[in-house]
Amino acid sequence: MADETAALTAPPQDSRRETIAFVIGVAGWLVPGLGHVLMKMWGRAVACFLTVGILVILGTAMRGNVFSSSGSDAFDSLGYLADLGTGTFYFVARSLETKGPDVSHAGGDYGTRFLATAGVLNLLAALHAYEAARGRKA
Amino acid sequence: MNFGIGFKLSHLQSMLLFALLISIAFGFLSRRRPIDRAKYIVWSLFLFLLIGVGIGWAMYPFSR
Repeated sequence: MADETAALTAPPQDSRRETIAFVIGVAGWLVPGLGHVLMKMWGRAVACFLTVGILVILGTAMRGNVFSSSGSDAFDSLGYLADLGTGTFYFVARSLETKGPDVSHAGGDYGTRFLATAGVLNLLAALHAYEAARGRKA
Repeated sequence: MNFGIGFKLSHLQSMLLFALLISIAFGFLSRRRPIDRAKYIVWSLFLFLLIGVGIGWAMYPFSR
């Protein structure tokens, strides 16, 4: 009840700030580093873009598994969710990996992990940009 | 880099590259001052490698 009252009496600039923070978070997810660019955090933006980009390129070059939505089990679905975390880079990975995955050797397995890590790392960066936009982190 | 053939790295090289990239990202995201970032990156990289090699040795008896 008290929360509802607080939400109803919240100043309009707070809800506007929340909306902007949400847009920044989504932008950071779609393009790695874009959320931090919008917050004028240049160093973090470059670091996010480069680390996620390098992980995606290495993952595909090592012929890691870029999961699709037609996964057959829970691990495939989780892998797909993790890969989707890279935002638009997911489609870059799919376009780069023309010969498909090869996880019969260690390199391909490492590549799969690189791709999943890139996605999770980008989600973390997008969450960081979102929190920074809300004024909770610097 | 040949995407068709595949980019070959050893286990150690893959782990080093992975640890380095993640440490850099963590350092930039979690610290603000350059000196703090550098310290965090080095410390995170060291822990990644220590734990990675440690787990590798812990699994060694079960590898054959």
